[in-house]
Amino acid sequence: MFWKTFSKGIWKENPVLKLVLGMCPTLAVTTSLENALGMGLASTFVLLCSNAVISSIRNLIPEKVRIPCFIVVIATFVTIVDLVMAAFVPDLHDALGIFIPLIVVNCIILGRAEAFASRHRTMLSIVDGLGMGVGFTLALAALGACREIIGNGTLTIWAGLPRLVLPTESPATLLILAPGGFIMLGLLLAGMNHLSAWQARRTGKAIPLPATMDCRTCTLCKWGS
Amino acid sequence: MKHSLQLIGSLTVICVISGALLAFVYGATSERIAAVAQIRTEAAAAQVLPPHDAVQDPIEVTHENHTYLFRPARTADGALAGFAIQLTTHAGYGGEIRMMLGIAPDGTTTGLAILPGHKETPGLGAKITETAFRKRFEDKSLASTNWQVRKDGGAIDEITAATISSRAVTDAIAAAARAFETHRATIMGME
Repeated sequence: MFWKTFSKGIWKENPVLKLVLGMCPTLAVTTSLENALGMGLASTFVLLCSNAVISSIRNLIPEKVRIPCFIVVIATFVTIVDLVMAAFVPDLHDALGIFIPLIVVNCIILGRAEAFASRHRTMLSIVDGLGMGVGFTLALAALGACREIIGNGTLTIWAGLPRLVLPTESPATLLILAPGGFIMLGLLLAGMNHLSAWQARRTGKAIPLPATMDCRTCTLCKWGS
Repeated sequence: MKHSLQLIGSLTVICVISGALLAFVYGATSERIAAVAQIRTEAAAAQVLPPHDAVQDPIEVTHENHTYLFRPARTADGALAGFAIQLTTHAGYGGEIRMMLGIAPDGTTTGLAILPGHKETPGLGAKITETAFRKRFEDKSLASTNWQVRKDGGAIDEITAATISSRAVTDAIAAAARAFETHRATIMGME
């Protein structure tokens, strides 16, 4: 039960690669692996704390003001993270800049509060927050690592640790810039869908279709359903 | 009525608890945050100044609506080693860029540091922090150098595809040079 709740955040309901949530921080901070890890860990901490608190006070909050209550709880933890990072890891705080305060409106966190923490036991909600956070961090790290290697020719896990520098004079800077973020995310999403389809075919299950962005469910053009 | 009071009450309680928690965390971190900013500014000053033994408190100078902090540095025998000028520009591609420029007493630049916290584009404008660009501002006369990027007819090579960031840094130094010339007496006199 706990394992299932934890692991669904990493693969089956990965917030970035399956639910396609939280795209603003995902595209903006994944210019390097270090930034991606920092953002992932900060979000995980907020998600864990907000899930725990919201789940434990879920029976005390009146239905009508639950969203403002959730936002206040989330904003409190985000501000704590912001202050603590500014004091103890100032370089990372500078790199993440505006995206730390914006964790407040990250729909993954409010989404988990509304969809999971407000209806489940505290322990289970903590596990859910941890799973979703780890899934978010892994997805960001994958995106950040790809963009940094191709776009800057380096790979830094953390400042101070040895970094990998590729022997190249002119890396594809496009990948570091905003369009490169979309391109790399598209490739990762395609790869993820391909992997799920391959896995399903091997085990003889029905091939899971992507939730949206599929011609059979889209109604944007005249060829849609 | 009772229902509305319940709504107001629960939200108020949550906000009060959250406020108290934040006040506590702010109290616990504010000193350290201020210390980090101080250490970074001092480290940047030490980095751009010529060899020195002590840096004195900054002298504040306002010129053309910009405020500059001139930090005099001295050697062990009390002779003036140079100044570290702290300057800020808002003309960067991502807004504010804070810099530290070192000058020798004769007005020759000895180094430039870009303080953390700028929001230039990674891979393009952010190259202003790299040594290759900062070196272009070293060993130049503050008074007689044409402080403009090459594109504007000046003496400083801009970074390819990052003219706005390069221009912001160069123009800020030009303004600082004018401030130094105008207020030279004050800056030197107060030593």
